[in-house]
Order: sequence, then C-alpha cells, then structure tokens
Amino acid sequence: MIEVMGLSRTFGKLVAVDGVAFEVHAGEVFGLLGPNGAGKTTLIRMLTGVLAPSQGDARVAGRSVVREPEKVKGRIGYATQDASVYPYLTVRENLAFRAALYLPKSEVPAAVETSLRRFGLEPIQDRLARTLSGGWRQRLSLAQAMVHRPGVVFLDEPTTGLDPLARRAIWDQIYAEAGEGVTALVTTHYMDEAERCHRVGLLYSGRLVEVGAPAEIKAKAKARHRFLIAPRDFDGRSDLGGLVDVWQAGDRKKVILRRDAPVPPGLHEIEPTLEDAFISLTKEAVHAS
Amino acid sequence: MRLDRTLALARKELIELRRDPLLLRIVILLPLAMLIIFGYAVNFTLSHIPMALLDLSQDRTSRELTKAFTSDDAFDILPVESRKALRAALDRDRARVGVVIPEGALAALRKGETLSLEVYVDGSSPVTAFQVQARLQRAIESFNARILTARALTGEIQKPPVVPKVEVLYNPDLDTAIFMVPGIVGLILTQIAVLLTAIAIVREKESGMLEALIATPVRPMEVVAGKTLPYLILGSIDAALVLWLGRVVFGVPMQGSWWLLSAFVFFFVLGSLGVGIVVSTTTRTQIQAVFGAMVYYLPAIFFSGLFFPIEGMPKILQALTYLVPLRYFLEAARGIMLKGAGLLDLWPSLLILVVFGLGTLTLAANRMSKRLV
Repeated sequence: MIEVMGLSRTFGKLVAVDGVAFEVHAGEVFGLLGPNGAGKTTLIRMLTGVLAPSQGDARVAGRSVVREPEKVKGRIGYATQDASVYPYLTVRENLAFRAALYLPKSEVPAAVETSLRRFGLEPIQDRLARTLSGGWRQRLSLAQAMVHRPGVVFLDEPTTGLDPLARRAIWDQIYAEAGEGVTALVTTHYMDEAERCHRVGLLYSGRLVEVGAPAEIKAKAKARHRFLIAPRDFDGRSDLGGLVDVWQAGDRKKVILRRDAPVPPGLHEIEPTLEDAFISLTKEAVHAS
Repeated sequence: MRLDRTLALARKELIELRRDPLLLRIVILLPLAMLIIFGYAVNFTLSHIPMALLDLSQDRTSRELTKAFTSDDAFDILPVESRKALRAALDRDRARVGVVIPEGALAALRKGETLSLEVYVDGSSPVTAFQVQARLQRAIESFNARILTARALTGEIQKPPVVPKVEVLYNPDLDTAIFMVPGIVGLILTQIAVLLTAIAIVREKESGMLEALIATPVRPMEVVAGKTLPYLILGSIDAALVLWLGRVVFGVPMQGSWWLLSAFVFFFVLGSLGVGIVVSTTTRTQIQAVFGAMVYYLPAIFFSGLFFPIEGMPKILQALTYLVPLRYFLEAARGIMLKGAGLLDLWPSLLILVVFGLGTLTLAANRMSKRLV
C-alpha cells in the first residue's frame, strides 16, 4: 500500500530525509520511530503529498506522490501532529467539515454518524473541540483522518502528551481499524507502542537505520551485540573491550557490548527490549557514518 | 472546483466567526469606533488646486486676476469656454473650483463699480473646499490691495473692486462627516478584509490546520473562495452598517445609485480579500500577518486621499496614488453619494476595481497552490 523509493528532502543545506526506502503492506500497522528531529514528520509530509520530495518517489495507495499528489490526497487520511481540530467547532461539526472535503454531499451525514459511533464520540458530539481533554482531542483527530474511510492513514504522533490509558485507547482504535483492512503508518517515540506495531522502521538523522518486525529487530540486535546488566558502581569505560554503550537504568546499569566481546565478571546477560535493540543499532549507525 | 466543498469551507468559517468572541468584536466594534473617531478631520495646506476658469472679459483686468490666482502656485488654471464646460470640469473632478469672470471687467473697474466673480467650490471634500476658499480669498485680496493702492494715489476712496460670490456645490455646509463617511466605508472594508482574512488563514497555519487542509483533495481556488465568501458577506454588512449610521447620525446624503455603490463595494472587498490571502501566504504567525496587512493598508490609506488631499502631495506621490485601489473606491463612493455620479462617470474606476478584485484573487489562488504541492 505504501512503497517508498529512495525518498529525500533537503531544506537548504539541511538534509531532513536522506534516501529512505521501505514498504508497508496492506492491513499493516507500521510504526515509524526516531528521536525528535529524525525526519519523521518530513517523511510523512512527503508521503501525504503535502511536501514535494527533493529526490526519489513513493507510491501511496497506488499513486505517485511526485506525479499525482492530489490523487494520493483523495485516497488517504492524515492526522497531523498535535491534533488539528477547529477549537470553535463542535466534535460533530469538525467531522462533518472534514467529510465534506472528501465525500459527495449526500454521503456526509452517514459518514459522520458512522464515525461518531466507531470512535465512541457520540456522548461528546456537541461539545466545542476547545473544551476537550488531550485524549479526546486526539481521538477526534483520528476520527477526522478516517471519516471518509480511506485505505491508508498517516498518524503523526497520535499519542504524544497523553496519559497511559488514553494512549491505550488510541492504539485499540488503530488496531480496530487495521482489523478492517486499513493500512496505518504511525509515528511515535514510545517504545512500548512500537512493540505493538506489526513492523517498525527506525529513522535516525534522516536515514532509515532498520526495518522489520519488533522480534526480528531484537534478534538482529542480539546477533551483533550482548545486552548486560551491571551493578550501579560499574564503570567499564576504561578497561572494557567492545563497549557500545552504557547507561543508568534504575538502580543498575545497562551495558551493550559487541557480540564478540567477553562477558566481564559480575555482569549477566539479558534479553534486549526493543529500546535496547534500537539504541544498539542506532549507535552502530552513528559509528558507521 | 466543487461548490459543496467551497460552501463547507465558508460555513466552517462563519461558525468560527460567530463563536470566536474576539473576531466578532473586531467585525462589529471596529467600524463603529472608526466612524466616531474619523467623523472629524484635519486641515492641510494645498497648492496647485485645479481651477476651471471661464473668462468672459478677456481683457487686461481679467488677465491680472488670473495672474493673481496663479501666484504662489495656489491654483492651476484650466480655461473653459462655457458654463456647461465649467460645471462638467467640476463634475468629473478635473477641477476643485470653478470661477466665472463676468464681461467687461476692465470697464467696471474703470467706472469704480464692484466686480462680482461667480465662484463654484467643490464641497464634496470639505478639507479641500476650506482651503480653496481661503486661497481664493487671499488671491483676490492681494489683487484688490494693488488696485486700491493705485486708486489711493489718485485720491479716490473706493469699495473693494472685486468680490467673489461663492457657491459650494455637492456639500453646501462643508460638513466633514458627509465627506468622511464614504471614506470610512473604504477604510473599514480595507481593514476588515485584509486584516481578518490574513489572520484567519495564518491562524490555521499556526495551529497546523492548514496542513491538514492541504492534505485533503480540496482545490486551492475552493479554499480561496471558501475563505472569501464569509468575509465578503461581513464586509457588506459592515459597509451597510456604516452607511446606515452615516445617514442617520451624520445625515450623509445618497444622491446616486445604491446598486452602483454596491458594485464598487463588492469588487473592492473582493480585491482586498485577495490581498489578505496573499499576505497570509507570505507570513507564518498572526503577528506577522497583522504587520503584513499594515504594510499594505497604511500606505493605501495615506495615498488614497482619505485624510490628505492628493492635490497636496508631491507629483511623484500623486502618481503613486494611481496604484492604490482605495483611491478609486473613495472617488467613486464620494462621487456616488455626494454628487450622484453614475456609471458613465465612474466606469474607468469600476473597471480598475474589477481587475483588482479578480487579479488579486487569482494571485491568491496561485500562491495557495504552491504551498499545496
């Protein structure tokens, strides 16, 4: 459904996205991870036809974002960062407005009703969007992006700033949509959310460092690195061979070593989390470049 | 372009306007405040005032008088051949004042009779009219003083040789409000249209709504039309409000056609809205948009002839005023309301405003579309 082919975007001298290529299959929830400034939003903007790529192309819902950006726009849904809803419109009015931009007039009322029901917005349908809490705003934003039942949706940080319960509600909703065949590309920097994706891509300073299912990525990291727990007073910087990274984690330290390095006494090996895997792979990418 | 999408955009804009207390206040209270503030105006020094002169004497005295008028660069003489031509010059704004020197000026002075000049002052602009009368009075007094000095040497004491009989046309009481109200309509329309549209679009940009909007299949022209429509309605309401108050409170007459005035309002607002959208495409924050709008409308107001008579400006700036749409709107509004000017007199101004309206909107749609790709 999404096929990214060597997409790049520069702003003056800054290379925001650098030759990114990957695929997202139909019905998949694809997580795009990366720190702030990694190029996630720029990449999403190119894939939604809002921003012209400097180089490369992508096919989204069967259309080229370079040659037919307007065709792409009609076939996708896009929830921008920080929940773009009109504060002085009610929940219902926000949905109806967005629906009217995609659908013929006759189909708008039914689409709005369906959307209110699916996203559980019926109880608050007449409230002004400005009076909604962050979680409800995000939910409305999500509902807006899908009010015209697109096959592909792009969700830019749909859970940033939300409490754990609200986050889970959003993800349940995303999975419910995916269950009905919607393809979703979601950006996030929460690792627990990334674990829930079918596949994830790690973006780091404009480059795609890794793509794969969470389990695959962990396996890949394990093939290259050892993940260890060390006591709090551990200081391996001077004498340890093959050190990739070390950082404080609670009352202990986490250590990443190259696979070929021996396990020092007092440290024991653990299963890496997705976060551990990403840190190790990112470090490697930084070293390589 | 799809009509239902355009209407959905317009409806959304109207709902926001209705519910956003600040915007509503700007739309309703700003015009009222301006009407009260600018009901009065200031005085300015004029020179090179165009004067239509009908010289029925064609003798030495009339030539001396003409010279007195042109001294100090007070007046520029536009000679006319008949009373009809004189009136026409005033009607078409080619002259601010018309003077008739009656037959036999030289003979009258020789006989010691008082020579009475017919003077017609264009009162549609009181600021100008006051100036015109004052300068005319001065020119005649200096002429009289010279004659009297000569007479005194010969020992004759005389009544003033020349007196003007002044008739003020169009706005006989030289009422400032009557002159200002059509101007305030233009001023308010400029501000409301340029400022509010610019703010309305940049606000969407700031909140990320514009990105969401351009990610939909909506066409640039639909966005422009959807944004324009509500403010066109608001602008018309404001224009009607100010005109109605002008009539009730200040007694501003309506000599001409409401339809013609509405046509001018329509195209002027359309063009100003286009300017507002263009401003919004070049700015990122609401503060920038406010300043961007000011960069447009402050010079527009100064060069429109609203406060400062265009005749009083240096030639270069006078030429610049032809680029200011408000100038044409003002001339038309004053012409229609005070003089009863018709389409026959005003079609060039209307044509310019039609071009202004369609031109800026097209430019706006083009600038919009660049952001969309």
